[in-house]
Amino acid sequence: MKTLLKGLAGVAGAMALAVGGTASADKEPIKFALLQDFTAVYTFVSSEYNQGQQDYLRLINETGGVEGHPIETIIRDTANEPQRGLEAYNRARREGAVLVDFFSTPVSRAAVNRVLRDEVVMITALHGRGDASHGETFPFVFPMMATYWSQATLLADYIDRHQGGLANKRIALVHIDSPFGREPLPVLQELAQQKGFQLRSFGYPSPGTEQSATWSDVRRYRPDHVIIWGAGGGQQVSVREAIRNGIRPQNILSVVWLSETDARNVGGNHMNGVKRFEAVASGREPAVIQDILTHVVEPGLGAGPAANVGSSYYNIGVATMAVAVEAARLAIREFGAPLTGDTLRRGFEMIEGFDARGLMPPVTLTATDHQGGGYGRVSQWNGQTWEPLTDWSNAFQEIVWHEIEKDAQGFRDGR
Amino acid sequence: MFYRLSGIHHTRYESARALWPVTADRRIVQGLLLLAVAAPFLLSDLYLTSYMLPWLIWTAAALSLTLLMGVAGQLHFGFAAVMAIGAYTSIHLTRAGVPFELALLGAGLMAALIGCLFGAAALRVKGLYLVMATLAMQYLVEWTIINVPAISGGAQATLSTPDVTFLFIPLQSDGALYYTALLWTVVVTLLIMNIKRSSFGRALVAVRDKDFAASVIGVNPLKYKLLAFFASSFLGGVTGAVLAFCYYQAVTPEQFGFNVSIQLVAMVLVGGLGSVIGAYLGAGFVLLLPIVLTNLLAFVAQFDLIPISFNLLSHIPLMVYGALIIGVILFEPLGLAKIYDNIRKYFLVWPFRHTQS
Amino acid sequence: MDFQFLIELTINGALTGLMYSLVALGIVLIYKSSGVPNLAQGAMVMIAAYLVWIFAGLLGTPILVALFMALVGMFLFGMLTERFLLRKMVGQPIIMVVMLTLGLESLLRGIGPGLLGAAPKSLDLGLDMMPIIIGDVFINREYLVGGLIGAAMVGLSLLFFRTRLGTKLRAVSDNHISSWSVGISVERAVAISWGLAGISAVAAGAMWGSVQGVDWTLTALLFPAVAVVILGGLDSIYGVLIAGLIVGILGSVIPGYVDPLVGGGTRDVVTSLIILLTIMFRPHGIFGREDIERV
Repeated sequence: MKTLLKGLAGVAGAMALAVGGTASADKEPIKFALLQDFTAVYTFVSSEYNQGQQDYLRLINETGGVEGHPIETIIRDTANEPQRGLEAYNRARREGAVLVDFFSTPVSRAAVNRVLRDEVVMITALHGRGDASHGETFPFVFPMMATYWSQATLLADYIDRHQGGLANKRIALVHIDSPFGREPLPVLQELAQQKGFQLRSFGYPSPGTEQSATWSDVRRYRPDHVIIWGAGGGQQVSVREAIRNGIRPQNILSVVWLSETDARNVGGNHMNGVKRFEAVASGREPAVIQDILTHVVEPGLGAGPAANVGSSYYNIGVATMAVAVEAARLAIREFGAPLTGDTLRRGFEMIEGFDARGLMPPVTLTATDHQGGGYGRVSQWNGQTWEPLTDWSNAFQEIVWHEIEKDAQGFRDGR
Repeated sequence: MFYRLSGIHHTRYESARALWPVTADRRIVQGLLLLAVAAPFLLSDLYLTSYMLPWLIWTAAALSLTLLMGVAGQLHFGFAAVMAIGAYTSIHLTRAGVPFELALLGAGLMAALIGCLFGAAALRVKGLYLVMATLAMQYLVEWTIINVPAISGGAQATLSTPDVTFLFIPLQSDGALYYTALLWTVVVTLLIMNIKRSSFGRALVAVRDKDFAASVIGVNPLKYKLLAFFASSFLGGVTGAVLAFCYYQAVTPEQFGFNVSIQLVAMVLVGGLGSVIGAYLGAGFVLLLPIVLTNLLAFVAQFDLIPISFNLLSHIPLMVYGALIIGVILFEPLGLAKIYDNIRKYFLVWPFRHTQS
Repeated sequence: MDFQFLIELTINGALTGLMYSLVALGIVLIYKSSGVPNLAQGAMVMIAAYLVWIFAGLLGTPILVALFMALVGMFLFGMLTERFLLRKMVGQPIIMVVMLTLGLESLLRGIGPGLLGAAPKSLDLGLDMMPIIIGDVFINREYLVGGLIGAAMVGLSLLFFRTRLGTKLRAVSDNHISSWSVGISVERAVAISWGLAGISAVAAGAMWGSVQGVDWTLTALLFPAVAVVILGGLDSIYGVLIAGLIVGILGSVIPGYVDPLVGGGTRDVVTSLIILLTIMFRPHGIFGREDIERV
């Protein structure tokens, strides 16, 4: 046990919470608060995601910072509890954080009113309220990647274009029974009417570790395609159950939360052919990841196990910080230091066609569109990696924006 | 020393029955109340909004629960669901245009009505079985909230609290929110203290100690069990509404999950069953300990002295929290209130060793 | 609807239920001997699964050796938990004991993922993933193995209670004071029952870990296990088997037909209702012993 502990500690390395470093220290630092859930519901993603964020910020600091300003991070565990998240947020705000990332839907939702009032930028990549894409209603909230609605429409579009069309097909949406799981339903229902396909949704109880009854039902529906919508441990159970029930892996499409870990847990080559939505390229090929490997991981400055570098969730973390740093750069160039929440917001809204050197689709954020176009692509598990099948694209954004407008209106009415 | 007993001679029953017969206790309470009132001017907004405010509101919740669990002896593992009912009722009422004061009342009544359904189980069973029954009801309430969009608020399952006024003061500034919470906590505190020394309170204690025996001496256990559930759920419902409006300002089902119920029970037990001061101490312990630990560890980790992984570091508060709960229960089953009481008794007779009582 | 659907739901539900029984068995073993409701059993299952993973996944020992090592480890873990935590709680109100086990759950949930990493681990028992197909009925092979192990564990426990040591344990579960008076060491008997609960946690942890991966969500198995225990009777080994089947089958068949109507997962509702209705109508469960209370 002792050697095991030692090994783990050694691999993880000493862990400085402030990513200080060699950046020119003469200019005042920019503070980002990464207040995430490392111990409860989001553990399946948060460690890799946060590692990617830290490594990227380290890379920026190692290579001169943002216009000479180093970036400091404030990292705290919130355990997915709103009261702890709000405490951490208030503390971080007092320490001068201009950007906050909770990576937890309940905490982000509880913090929305506060960040709007305090003028602190909150990024809600792949979590939180989808309607926060509505820039006028949520000026300080940036989903900045495809919302779940955009993911659903893109997956449907993929079936339409590449898997024999949607018309007269049977599509099953198998989802975790939670607000997150039901989120894609309205856009898919709208599409079902437009495209003339049958849609049925099947919910399984949270946390999704036992789904056999649901899948017996799914099989009898004889779906042509199955879209699975869950997160964490439930996802690999879904894939196994689907394959067990005779659904060909090629016809299984997943929300963004399906990773290398899930493939390993499904085991063998069973998952080969399963497709998923992808908002950020995975693997170590993108130039940014290569830079991180040379400047951060090889000198031993990495924030976690080197094996995680290039995993799907790691790269998502890198992408979020790449966009944030780009926004900070633009803001400082335009408005000068010091960076405030408001100038950082305007920096975000100046981002145009930014793709983090091939890591992600070109994203353009404006004062009205905080989603950035809802781009993504479909990739397929080939036994080793996620292999992209399409180019970056978006689909049916008018349907997505109809939902965004509707919910944003609801938010405005409630205030 | 501090708690000087000399010179205190009760010549009237009223003074002997006072809430704080010892002058020193009264002074301490007065001092604390004064500090609480002055807190917005003394504390930075961080400590006011992230520590004092939630602490007060969770104390009110723990007090409501300790009335049921400590005084009446009815175990309840679904109290977060009761609070959720209050929170959702108040939001929907204010959204429909009902004034906030009435909405609070409505929240309490609705929570009390449904809370009595929880109580129905208590008429049949007690102890462990009551724990399980209330636990099951927690799941049912949670499921209903999540699965009825009209309650949870549609696709985003989030309801922001509308802007309201309380007693003609708009609930906007940190100060207004804080004073509302303080007022409610003081009200609940006084209520529980007075219930404990009223005939109602004594009847509850009789039911707690042995319900059959209580019925022999003429206390109807069914009636008093239901009344206990009603009163405690009413207070819990209002507290849920106060929590939603004064602290979260947006309600999601996760804020009232099963783990919150467990935390509430932990507050009551760690503080000391049935103790008012214990509710304050327990709420502070359970709510603030993980936060303080997280910040402390982050502070220590800054210096890079101990080479441990970040993953382990972030799990340490969870371990310490569990270990401390075990520790309190093993070494002081009467809770933090008893520890305070020991200290108080020590000083009551200081410099001598033993008290008479 | 079609008949084969019902059969499939029933069979898979029954097998899942037996796998819940594996978790529930630990709770019953402990309650039977000492009257302690162990709400940390879910966390013990998690720790057991991590142990199996340490040996099989991290150190690469063969799976049978890994299972054996985990059995030894969890037996000791159970005994030590009893010795250092629960023994001090004798005579305390039930709520204190419940809270202690919940505190223990917190502690274990911090230790397991904290030391070994929070990402889900895969536990490969070498079972074939493909189902057994009879007509249009698909039977999940992992659940079949898990269910059989569940039934076997219950059977073994029943046999165990017929041995000399088991007879002592039964005496202890009847009455602590009379057991003492005839020279049975109650402390040792209770400790052994905790050790046995540790062993059943290994079986549960290995099976569920292989089905869903090893991470803290294994602790969530506590809820269905509690339903099984309540329905079967807190102190009935036999009840674990029957109640496991009932909880599993109802939790599979009812959602199978009702879910499409209400558009949401109703299994937790079924589980909750089983707990509630049992407590309202037959608190001591199907096979549990009724407590008679005296003033």
